[in-house]
Amino acid sequence: MTDTVQSSPAAPAAPARRRRPAALQNIGSRYAIIGVWVALIVLYSFTDHGDFLHVTSFQAIFNSQQPLVFMAAALLCTIIVGEFVDLSVPYVFGFAATILPVLVVNHGWPFWPAAIVAVVAAVGVGVVQAFLVVKVGVNTIVVTLGMGTLLEGISLWMSDLNSVSGLPSGLSKLALLDVGGMPISFYYGVLLIAGFAYLLWFTPLGRHMRFVGASREVSRLSGVRVDRIRFGSFVFAGLLSGLGAVITATGIGGYNASSSDTYLLPVFASVFLGTAIVEIGRFNPVGTFIGIYFLETGIFGLQLLGLEAWVSQVFYGGVLVVAVTISTLLHRRTS
Amino acid sequence: MTVSHQAGGAAGHPCAGQHRLRVASLSKSFGPARVLRDVELSIAPGELHGLVGQNGCGKSTLVKILTGVYPPDPGGSVTVDGRALTLPVRPLDARAAGLSIVHQDLGLVDDRSIWENVRLGRYQAGRLSRRINVREEKRQAAEALARLDLMLDVDTRVGELAAEDRAAVAIARAIQDHESGGGLIIFDESTRALTRRGRGRFFTLVKSVIDGGASVLLISHQLEEVVEVTDRVTVLRDGQVVEGGIPASQTSEAALTRLMLGRHVVTHDRVDSQARDTEVARVTGLTVRSVSGFDLSLRKGEIVGLTGLVGSGAVAVAEAIGGARQARGGLLTVAGRNIDLSRKRGCTQEFIAAGVAFVAERRLEQGLAAELTVTDNLTLPRLRTRGHQLRTGGRWQAAETAAMISKLDIRPPDPHALVGHLSGGNQQKVLLGKWLAGRPDLLVLHEPTQAVDVGARHDIITAIRQAAADGCGVIVSSVDAADLAVLCDRVLVFRDGRVAAELAGDLTADDIIHATFEAPGPQEPHHHDRDRKEVVQ
Repeated sequence: MTDTVQSSPAAPAAPARRRRPAALQNIGSRYAIIGVWVALIVLYSFTDHGDFLHVTSFQAIFNSQQPLVFMAAALLCTIIVGEFVDLSVPYVFGFAATILPVLVVNHGWPFWPAAIVAVVAAVGVGVVQAFLVVKVGVNTIVVTLGMGTLLEGISLWMSDLNSVSGLPSGLSKLALLDVGGMPISFYYGVLLIAGFAYLLWFTPLGRHMRFVGASREVSRLSGVRVDRIRFGSFVFAGLLSGLGAVITATGIGGYNASSSDTYLLPVFASVFLGTAIVEIGRFNPVGTFIGIYFLETGIFGLQLLGLEAWVSQVFYGGVLVVAVTISTLLHRRTS
Repeated sequence: MTVSHQAGGAAGHPCAGQHRLRVASLSKSFGPARVLRDVELSIAPGELHGLVGQNGCGKSTLVKILTGVYPPDPGGSVTVDGRALTLPVRPLDARAAGLSIVHQDLGLVDDRSIWENVRLGRYQAGRLSRRINVREEKRQAAEALARLDLMLDVDTRVGELAAEDRAAVAIARAIQDHESGGGLIIFDESTRALTRRGRGRFFTLVKSVIDGGASVLLISHQLEEVVEVTDRVTVLRDGQVVEGGIPASQTSEAALTRLMLGRHVVTHDRVDSQARDTEVARVTGLTVRSVSGFDLSLRKGEIVGLTGLVGSGAVAVAEAIGGARQARGGLLTVAGRNIDLSRKRGCTQEFIAAGVAFVAERRLEQGLAAELTVTDNLTLPRLRTRGHQLRTGGRWQAAETAAMISKLDIRPPDPHALVGHLSGGNQQKVLLGKWLAGRPDLLVLHEPTQAVDVGARHDIITAIRQAAADGCGVIVSSVDAADLAVLCDRVLVFRDGRVAAELAGDLTADDIIHATFEAPGPQEPHHHDRDRKEVVQ
């Protein structure tokens, strides 16, 4: 027999367009923040009589952000696989960073067992959250908001509402060893981000994470173990928070549990700002890393100009809203 | 049975000035694809008008334009009772003009009461307190139900109602704004979820709506129902009206089918079966949804079609064999490997490893990630097996993608293009390529040519045949009889969870459609000589 189909001719093929290689597409929008960053530096250097361009300014900016890099990477783990949004990251970090000095200073534990307990505790929190979100199906925001608040309370209780300090100063080299004018903790952050970017760009696991974030059903039907990847991302987020916490507490000799709150907005601002850099509209580690130091540059410069501490809230909050709006608009334009 | 009281009789063509709804020169394009082309439609007061066409022919797009979801292309017009609606249609304008719609899923919220569902979007609040006047809302809901002679307690939760009563609630919601003697309700596949008995009740309600002076546009795949109850029928094919307002008394299911499928020019000849003697896959004792104890033996190169009405079980069987749905029981054997179809599993990895590929129906929800590239999507199932654990490897991905772009003529031929930027037909090709590149032993396809243009359909059919020629066993689940007729060596027609007919040999689309729609009875399901004679030539 003969099957019959419509008589109209097939739509003509769209004319083939010459394309630039993927790496060179939308270069303007992908790296616009870096341009703004440079402009910011130039602006500050003109308005504060050259103080800003001093090498110590750059050291101050690059020395101080290691906790944020680890926390932002932890948030990226879950946000990339489509879990919106893990509000517990700064509190898991604070929990681990409190356990370490409390065990060493208040209870006389040796450093390394205490450090391992701190990291394991953070991983354990990740496992509990993963179980609740992935296996039981509780809403991510509810679980992580509740767990974050709970952990903050426990941390404050463990530390008697005080800052706990007095970790052996010899160990601070683990975080503060000078390498080319920068503390080694800066390079930990660089390595972490480089590794994370490699994972996402080049490994099957990273590609699977992207697909799980894009569509769970597509991934499931393509043979990707969706729940395992979601579960693993929470656990890995806990691990990164724990490691970052140990490095931070070691560097400053202790921790103040009440300071965890102050990280929440910067972590989100950097991760969302990262969606406007390098890979437009996508959460990505390199963009996040650049975002962290861009934000710190902005705040540091404003403080050098004599503005008070409130400027950081204004800057982080404002940038979060503006950056996400720009990223959304750019993404809409390119798609 | 004809339920309407159309002015001028069922066969009368309404003349100017008597149209309840008149659509003129309405077109709609999505990017380069023109999905509606100069559509004309007119419905008289008190008329029950049927709109039929294959999946993807533009029916839903037309409805979405009429209800304000999509803006039409410039140039068309929509007139209700002689007054032109501003385009794009504003939903409140449509409601004010008396246009209402009952969707396929009826659009009801199960855990709210009848009155809350009926009055949704119309709640009136106190001027100062801003409180909903519950007593008044309930009164109005009861009044809407009373217009249909329904005596339901408006406080009952909709989830507790029988399917017919749910449909009645949806109708009550649709007619409440109609002025006496006016209004038009569009039923978009609303009878899908109803049983045969429920349909009888449904059309009694529709009749009472028409008795009240309203008009009805009935969109349905149930051709038997359309011929039976409507006054006139309009047939859409590939976005164009091929016949507008045929009196239902002068047509038949077969004639409508012929019009829906089209008749001319570009042809796909059936080709000889590629089936060989070796068995490549066997399904034993598959029990899923309404189907129980289904067995199938598939030979290398054989193409088997599964079809049936919604709820017949054909889709569930295909999804279970493809790994997309967990069955209650059953065993799949592919190239000597056994898969327990009732095992709960998080993903289809075991199926893929056994050589099974499942091309899902909803390509952007089940098949492809629109925000990722053609290469990313095409190579996803094989990243672990072909790539190294620490590196996906770029070369095999580039080679595989280039091969599929060339084989399926994917346009633009850009491996880095985002899938979301491609046309529907090209997305479908990427989805097919994603699975063909793995050289499966068993290929299960669900609606492989749904909503694709004629060129893409040709490429997809050719690629499926090629896969069969290469020795792959193919299962095609589809309601598109034309596809099944050209592709399949045999077609299993499901009804109420059982295989009601097995058609083989020199298949025609008519045979398949008749076997699908035929009421169960003592006669052989694929004798249709009488109907064939009625086909409009």
